[in-house]
Amino acid sequence: MKPYQSVFRDETKLDINYVPYQLPHRDRELRLLNEFFSFALQSPDKMAQRVMITGDVGTGKTVLSQRFGADITREASKRGINLRYVHVNCREYRGSLFLILQHAVSVFHPNFPRRGYSAEELLRILVQVFDEENVYVILTLDEFGSLVEKEGSEAVYKLTRLQETRQNKPQRLSLICVLRNLKEIERLDASTRSTLQTNIISLGKYSRQQLIDILNDRVSLAFKLSTVTEDTVSLTAELAFSENGNARFGIELLWRAGKYADADELGTVLPECVRKAVSSIVPAMRKTDLASLNFHEELFTLGIARLFKESQKSQVSLAEAEQAYAVVCEEFNVQPHSHTQLWKYLQTLSTAGIIDTEVSTVPPRGRSTLICLPRIPARELERELCGLLEKQGA
Amino acid sequence: MNVEEVFSSKLRMRILKVLAQVGEVNVSEIARRLGVNYQSASKHLQVLEDEDIIQHKMFGRIRLYRLNEHSAKAKAVQNLIEVWKQAQRKNC
Repeated sequence: MKPYQSVFRDETKLDINYVPYQLPHRDRELRLLNEFFSFALQSPDKMAQRVMITGDVGTGKTVLSQRFGADITREASKRGINLRYVHVNCREYRGSLFLILQHAVSVFHPNFPRRGYSAEELLRILVQVFDEENVYVILTLDEFGSLVEKEGSEAVYKLTRLQETRQNKPQRLSLICVLRNLKEIERLDASTRSTLQTNIISLGKYSRQQLIDILNDRVSLAFKLSTVTEDTVSLTAELAFSENGNARFGIELLWRAGKYADADELGTVLPECVRKAVSSIVPAMRKTDLASLNFHEELFTLGIARLFKESQKSQVSLAEAEQAYAVVCEEFNVQPHSHTQLWKYLQTLSTAGIIDTEVSTVPPRGRSTLICLPRIPARELERELCGLLEKQGA
Repeated sequence: MNVEEVFSSKLRMRILKVLAQVGEVNVSEIARRLGVNYQSASKHLQVLEDEDIIQHKMFGRIRLYRLNEHSAKAKAVQNLIEVWKQAQRKNC
């Protein structure tokens, strides 16, 4: 027998720290960032820049700044400019200015002592290091809010005004502050805030289609050809969209779904693998939700579960669900309820978070309701419902 | 100082090994790695610096020592330590 072959070609491309060469739907923002820092490639000593990048979780703030950092460093090196990009996650350093600066110094002097001086001294040391190395630095402060929260205005002020105490000397340090929203810097005093808020790049929530593009991009890098179905990508995108357009969530989900596909030796990542993956990370199905359903709601849900189990689709129409429900009614020897009643059941199931619904307006067929089973593996839902119906003596 | 005087000290040789291994380091860290006090480490570092084998840079109050990259003596020391290490690996 032929040994099983993994669906993955290179799973590191789904790692949280991987920075892709192309950032789908963030090219405009990347261009803008490059514009803000164009001086760094022309006359780097003449000015320093401060930019803020804002956006919700999974909107690509970190990856955008890292892609920019890698690109500008490479370009500067080609031009013989000694420019370094240093990315610090402030939360990892508990928002401490001292630890953040220490990390920056350690990039140039890895064995720099960890004790015996203050944050102010460290700031001076940092400038001295930059001068001695004749280096221009773009320091990205990711999760900037935690620095603001821990250190307040004083520390941020010192950091942002570092250059002002160095008149007629080369400008060495530029800052990129990455944060979720501007509320995080509200507690800074007005003058500190004003030094930061000049250039803001706001990253909006990804749309469903944008998430599909991002996921397809990663699929082509991480998975073998034709091992991830279109429906799988579409379902993953749907889930990521429902998690506030969080692309990172979608990418992690894809990786986990791939692992489930490999564990079951499927050779293909099916929507069911995504459901299993999401139920392993989200407390999806609460038995109480199912127990609160009435008899016909249970039958209807059972029909939907079987439909998903057999079809491997990411979405089914209400008409298909109705047919599946009719078959279940036959099995249980009961008269099916009407279409209007089923539509009400659908709302109940959606409110309980068991399914998601979406209205599709694909011409020429007019409006039709599409059902998605994003969080619960169909097989597991079927098993639970069968158990429940058996207990009820149906 | 004669070559035999410089290399007659076990502690000085250990300092050179540390610097060849880690690149640069401050006095307290050298003292800690060698298990000696600050004054003793400082004294031997001074001898090596006087011979141009090592150099230091000041960062505020911090003094970082490293092998003197412009010194032929330092290069010779680095070679010696490297060759010794390779020979030891072969013997293992």
